[in-house]
Amino acid sequence: MTLAIEPITPLPELHRGRSLHNVWARFVNRVAVLLCWTSALVTIGALFLIFGYIVYKGVWALTGLEFTTHFPWFDFTHFHLNATFFTSLPRPGDAVGGMRNCIAGTLVLIAMASVIGIPVGMLCGIYLAEYSKDNLFSHSVRLVVDVLAGVPSIIVGVLAYSLVVRPMGNNSAWAGAVALGFIMCPIIARTTEEMLKLVPKALREASIGLGASKFQTLFRVVIPAAASGIITGVMLSVARVAGETAPLLFTVLGSDQPIFSMNSHFPFFHADLNNAFPSLTAQIYKYATSAEPEWLKEAWGGMLVLIMIVLIMNIMVRVVTAKKMAGRH
Amino acid sequence: MTMIETEIETQPAAASPTSQALITPSVKAPQVMTAPVPAGRSEAKAAAPIAVSVSGLNLHYGKTQALHGIHLEIPEKQVTAFIGPSGCGKSTLLRCINRLNDLIDVCHIEGSIKIHGREIYAPGTDVISLRKRIGMVFQKPNPFPKSIYENVIYPLRIDGIHKRAILDETVERSLHRAGLWDEVKDRLHGSANALSGGQQQRLCIARAIAAEPEVLLMDEPCSALDPIATNKIEQLMETLRKHVTIVIVTHNMHQAARVADITAFFYLGRLVEVGATEKIFSTPTNKQTEDYVTGRFG
Repeated sequence: MTLAIEPITPLPELHRGRSLHNVWARFVNRVAVLLCWTSALVTIGALFLIFGYIVYKGVWALTGLEFTTHFPWFDFTHFHLNATFFTSLPRPGDAVGGMRNCIAGTLVLIAMASVIGIPVGMLCGIYLAEYSKDNLFSHSVRLVVDVLAGVPSIIVGVLAYSLVVRPMGNNSAWAGAVALGFIMCPIIARTTEEMLKLVPKALREASIGLGASKFQTLFRVVIPAAASGIITGVMLSVARVAGETAPLLFTVLGSDQPIFSMNSHFPFFHADLNNAFPSLTAQIYKYATSAEPEWLKEAWGGMLVLIMIVLIMNIMVRVVTAKKMAGRH
Repeated sequence: MTMIETEIETQPAAASPTSQALITPSVKAPQVMTAPVPAGRSEAKAAAPIAVSVSGLNLHYGKTQALHGIHLEIPEKQVTAFIGPSGCGKSTLLRCINRLNDLIDVCHIEGSIKIHGREIYAPGTDVISLRKRIGMVFQKPNPFPKSIYENVIYPLRIDGIHKRAILDETVERSLHRAGLWDEVKDRLHGSANALSGGQQQRLCIARAIAAEPEVLLMDEPCSALDPIATNKIEQLMETLRKHVTIVIVTHNMHQAARVADITAFFYLGRLVEVGATEKIFSTPTNKQTEDYVTGRFG
């Protein structure tokens, strides 16, 4: 028996659809892809415009290096590679000053806010993820936390003003720390809750099955397993409050006074936490709204330093997250 | 039938002579009933004391009843297998023995479970110390994201034992018993997640036996493993049964036939038949059991 092989007939009409519907589908597809690309470019473009302009103006403030319109596009005439901006205090008028106390002040405020925000936020997240029952109280807590995360920071500033500044009678670092800590809490609480819920049930059962109590399971297995995610949330919240301005104008106000000594005189740190306190963002606000050219220039320098602090924190978040991913495989 | 044949074909060449002998006759369904069981097993169990005794156990998940009046006695230092189709309640019963079902809010239990004569559902029972006396191995390997060393000594850590000598000794003994020592002795402080699935499961067994439990519960311990790893776990059970009472839930009837002294068949939340493994697989008294073990359903 011979096997008849029929020749394969090509399907010219089908293999490349030419119907109106296909043409339309292809068109819609292209438009959608184009829109996605454009939106991505607009977003990245806005970021690079802001970042680029701050670098352009800020580098000039920090080093005296000027960008020009002709090759080689920068001018070394006034270039002075020193750290005046980081070592000097703010000076009045057109005297060249710096923001050393403001940079340190911002870091101190972040640390103080973290002492308030991290424990309260984490414990709240642990309550929501591990101990809350399905009842009205836990639902209200979760709702309130979500609402708090979206409260405009100026309102938090007013709150800290009436809770701390008014009773104390003057502006203080404490009031700023309370305001920033209050902003950190809901962010950390929600991230902690989400990260704890992501820990597989199998790990909890393994621990409980071995005779561990709920508390031991939580602190020896669940929290360590969620640690990198919780740290990511904490660092994002720190990066968020590092750039807060409005609540600080109500609370710490800003100050030109030094908060640490540059020579090794004891005490190294001599900040007065009960009075107006220097902050990078408050200083930028003050300088950027002034008419003094030297102050305007230094405001750009302050912005560059601030954006660098936030950028470094975001990179650290990435590194921590990347390590977590590497640990999974 | 196709399922069974596939399982047989994928048996590793390295399978022990015992398991080979058990499998070969079961290729054709009717022969399962006359499958020879190695001698020696049946003699040992005659007068074994009872380790776990379940009586009149009813379990409800909310409004659904998952277990109906279970009466079962599990002898000491033997392997008892729970078999049955999915959802028949065998895992649920297993998780009653170490009260892991307590974690589920809607779970309600009536009846009695005694371990070495002591009622574990009596009010005031110390559930924590109960669970310390009962090891459990789960369906999927679930090592903690810590080092191999820290995984094994976890039960000691939660008891607050810090003496290095005791911890080192426990790690070596448990890993030896779990047949994992030679493979991991050079990387005890490496991550447990870097181990293969089979190694992770043996690590979980080492962790479960580190605190010298009286009973070891295994909830489908091989269902996520390949045949070679499965074979290693089965050999391991053969050595562990000298020290500890083992209760294993399995979907794989051949596995039950290979490792168990006693087999209990569950169907729709009821214990249909329990008896010596060779009897369940050769001359079951119940029609449902016979249909299940011969592969006619399930």
